[in-house]
Amino acid sequence: MTNLKVVALVIGLLAFYTLIANAIPQVQSEVPQELSFTGSVSAEELVAAGDQLYQGAGGCTACHGLGTRAPNLLADEAGTGLIGARCANRVAGEDCKKYLHESMINPAAFVVAGYQPIMPDLRRTLSDQQIWALVAYLQSQGGEVTVTGADLATAPPAGGSGGAAPAAGGGALAGGSTDPNELIAAAGCTACHKLGDQGNAIGPPLDGLGARRNAESIRRKILNPRSDTTRGFEAMAMIMPPTFGQQFNAAQLEALVQFLASRR
Amino acid sequence: MIDPRTRRTLLLAAGSAAALLLLAAILGDPLAAQQAAEQASRDYRNFPVVGSREAVWVAAEVHLMFAAFVLGVPMFAVVVEAIGIFTKDERYDRLAKEFVRLLLIAYSATAIWGAVLLFLLTTLYPRFWSHLATIFEVSMWIYVGLFFVESFTLYLYYYGWDRWKKGNAKYGHLVLGILLNVWGTAVMFIADSWLSYMMSPPAGVTADPSPGMVQLWSAIANATWMPINIHRIIANVVFGGSVAGAYAALRFLNAKTDEERAHYDWMGYIGNFIAISALLILPFAGYWLGREIYAYNQSMGITMMGGFMSWLWIIQAFLIGVLFLAANYYLWIGLGRIPGGERFVPYTKWMLLVLVLGVIVWATPHTMIANRDELAQMGGMHHPFLGVLGVMSAKNTAVNLMILTTFLSFLMYRRANKSPVVPWAKTGTLVQGTIMAVAAAIVIFYGVYGYFVSAIVRIGFSVYQVGAVLVTIIAVTVIDVMMAKGAQSRGEIRWGQMPPRSQYALFVLVVTFTWLMGLMGFARSGIRQHWHVWEVMRDTSPGAATPALGHAATVISTCVLIFLGLIAFIFWVGGLVEKPAPVPHAAPKLAPDAGTRGLAAASGD
Repeated sequence: MTNLKVVALVIGLLAFYTLIANAIPQVQSEVPQELSFTGSVSAEELVAAGDQLYQGAGGCTACHGLGTRAPNLLADEAGTGLIGARCANRVAGEDCKKYLHESMINPAAFVVAGYQPIMPDLRRTLSDQQIWALVAYLQSQGGEVTVTGADLATAPPAGGSGGAAPAAGGGALAGGSTDPNELIAAAGCTACHKLGDQGNAIGPPLDGLGARRNAESIRRKILNPRSDTTRGFEAMAMIMPPTFGQQFNAAQLEALVQFLASRR
Repeated sequence: MIDPRTRRTLLLAAGSAAALLLLAAILGDPLAAQQAAEQASRDYRNFPVVGSREAVWVAAEVHLMFAAFVLGVPMFAVVVEAIGIFTKDERYDRLAKEFVRLLLIAYSATAIWGAVLLFLLTTLYPRFWSHLATIFEVSMWIYVGLFFVESFTLYLYYYGWDRWKKGNAKYGHLVLGILLNVWGTAVMFIADSWLSYMMSPPAGVTADPSPGMVQLWSAIANATWMPINIHRIIANVVFGGSVAGAYAALRFLNAKTDEERAHYDWMGYIGNFIAISALLILPFAGYWLGREIYAYNQSMGITMMGGFMSWLWIIQAFLIGVLFLAANYYLWIGLGRIPGGERFVPYTKWMLLVLVLGVIVWATPHTMIANRDELAQMGGMHHPFLGVLGVMSAKNTAVNLMILTTFLSFLMYRRANKSPVVPWAKTGTLVQGTIMAVAAAIVIFYGVYGYFVSAIVRIGFSVYQVGAVLVTIIAVTVIDVMMAKGAQSRGEIRWGQMPPRSQYALFVLVVTFTWLMGLMGFARSGIRQHWHVWEVMRDTSPGAATPALGHAATVISTCVLIFLGLIAFIFWVGGLVEKPAPVPHAAPKLAPDAGTRGLAAASGD
């Protein structure tokens, strides 16, 4: 009888915990559905696909659904409307489509004031078509959808291939140039680092880097951004893409390392 | 086993794959269709009825439960043996041997489930396993070697117990116990490197690495490896203690004699003490692991805490609340068997109130993902009431007060039948009370102050709160140990005179600990979502979607049921082989802190 009581207690507890876990809202983490749109894809099809990604497998709502970690894109912001209405006015010279697309493939470029640069490069997890579908969906939130099939055929500017990480292919950056300034511009270093009067102070400045690190340390840092993180910037270490080892060829890497090591 | 949504997804995936194959064939490329089918069958195979994902899930989880048990028990068994040696009290030696006897047969089950997991992975996920083997092959060979050495150390340790019982041979035997822990920890560290690599692979890894492309050490020493190692060491002690406590509870309930009942009452108390003591420091290791996950990849951290898994932490808070309540309940009932314990009983209702309020606050949701309709219903991002209680300021305050309350229960238990004789006893008690009051004030002050500062400042406050609690636990324990020197006894503790309901609290603890372990395993593994290796190797199998908590709970309950069923069988079989020697009438003479004196660095009064 005692043993039966114990068994009943165990089974009762297990059933209780299982019931509680089934009683709360059930959210499944979906796999992003592969898209295979052609050039004749309609705006409605893109918006529908983007909607599905935004609300589900894209994982966007984890931050953008709250308004605490990142702007809530589906809510009005200080009278400027939803994201589709306000996107064109975010950055001078950037139309809505370009602004949204750039924000997804180079998230550190336009960080909204008051928020941390925590958004990952979406090319690491989504294909080009999926990213364009997201752009179309966000445009549809209070604005006009201008994404077309022609955009889907356009290669992204920073070498994104879709699917996994940004494309490999050493030397593709800056047309194979070994000019450090061209490499810095092509790699988008100043999106986070200050260099002269350019750039942002999200990461440590590149000015004076040679006084703080030797060439070996700089090389290691470019190839493995999570190594030897500068004190005070630990939370930003994950933002720097770990893919420069595939994007630079050896000559480009050395040219960049020597240039930065000489900045004392 | 498969919920309708998952079934629909599976059917959709299967249908899509079939349609694609058909389309390719129609378009005149049968070779491509055939190649796609061959590639899919090379990467994944299906396990009948439950599917591959669930099969591997159950095998991995049950293996981990057994592994945690056989790694946790030797840690405190060797400490208990050492206490027996240095206090020359044979009761501890017998208890240590009984602990080790529990794990002897469980060890075989651990290996069997490990083999089941290995075979399932190699047959159902061959490409993924090939990826791991390419990178980790050397460590896998070392793992096997260490496992072999560990097994034979265990055999020597257990079967040599009576042979090496006296003189220097006993110290040699103790060294065997220490070695058993060293080998076991090394084995766990190696296995942890494989799973932590899946979460946080080093930069530059590709889905199809060639041999030697990835440096083994960089893959092993990945960002989450050491936090997981430390978290698991502590959690294994918690788990081992709770299973040993439940074993003792079962033996207590079925005891035929008073001596037997007294012994298993004592053993159950020690199991509970070990489990709860280790549980109190486990959140700090968990905090470190969470911080490393955020530092490695913020979007992974956000997925874990604020994405589709956010409800999981509410369930976790509820379960830990159950643990706190059950552990304290057991201690409060235990006061009834200690002469002098009755003077503390009136305080327990207030302590219960603190614990219940703490659980309510801790389990309050805050920033749950909501759609537009839900936001409109709430009238904002947060529920107007829950938004206040659900923030970290309130939750950290609640948790720290619950820890302090539980510590107070242990303190009352320790002091129940003692009358201190040191001249400064009154002052000492006053100082102890003041320290605890100051700690509670610090916790509450920073909890309230946290509402008026920015998030980045607020996060730092948790360090002050935790620091105040830890310092209090250490300082008050040290004072208590000194006060207990030469203390007069208010009467012999009546071991064995516990109502049966107290033992059911120990079963609640073991079921909840085990379930919580399964839940946290799901959290750790689930945050990778549809990646075998995060952002390196995509899961393209039909079971790639990470299931919702309801489905996960069903699998977890299944795993717990399998584990507890098997461990009960194993203990029963162990009982057939060797009956532990009945403990002579010595156990009832033990003090309330007996068995924990050495563990808590207490005095030898």
